[in-house]
Amino acid sequence: MLDIFDTMNISASGMTAQRFRLDVISNNIANAETTRGENGEPYRRKTVVFSEVLRDALGKSQYNSIEDLNGVEVSRVAEDMRPFKMVYDPSHPDADGEGYVKMPNVNVMREMVDLIGAQRAYEANVSSINATKAFANAALRIGRG
Amino acid sequence: MAGGVDPINNINSLDPIKRIQKLNREKTEKAGEAAGKTEPDFQKVLDQAIQEVNSQRKASTQARNDFAAGKISNIHDVIITAEKAGISLRMTMEIRNKIVDSYKEIMRMQL
Repeated sequence: MLDIFDTMNISASGMTAQRFRLDVISNNIANAETTRGENGEPYRRKTVVFSEVLRDALGKSQYNSIEDLNGVEVSRVAEDMRPFKMVYDPSHPDADGEGYVKMPNVNVMREMVDLIGAQRAYEANVSSINATKAFANAALRIGRG
Repeated sequence: MAGGVDPINNINSLDPIKRIQKLNREKTEKAGEAAGKTEPDFQKVLDQAIQEVNSQRKASTQARNDFAAGKISNIHDVIITAEKAGISLRMTMEIRNKIVDSYKEIMRMQL
């Protein structure tokens, strides 16, 4: 059994992870039209990879008992390797000889859906915290009245 | 013997009672010492609990200050710390109420 505050910490880690996801999605949306990114290429869409935190006191990543549950963490930010969109726009400074511009592989519609997903996941963690709090408050009401 | 009650014997007759009282006192003192060794002092337990609640409150204030100073980027961390402090405080209040209730109950006891 975990301490009731550890349960809250797990939810807090979930909220932090979703906040980070929000940052990455916002960055994708902000750079949806960026044609000059790293090494001259357009911006590449980024995604977040989450991993479960299972750690004992020694920092060993191994699941032994329920006490090892520590929530979620962002393990890395991965790049979407799908090809860039080719858009015909000869007036663009980054257009090639045939008038095509390499645009980022960001689909704003998809990012919006991800955004809603992140928002709902954050809210789910809030619900989890509220449930934890309700548990604690119910326990404190024992023997009253 | 003339005079009826022998004053010396009269005083001596109280001695066994005194001795028993003395024995009893020693016994209770020893029992008290033994209890003190095996169980943690009630006052210490309460003190520790209150210290913990106090540290939670301090952490909450610290989180709020850090957030105001721009050191914390997550709002939920501040709120969760405050919630934790609130729950600890409620817990302490409940326990205090129980202790005060017990005390009052004992004080109302008819002797």
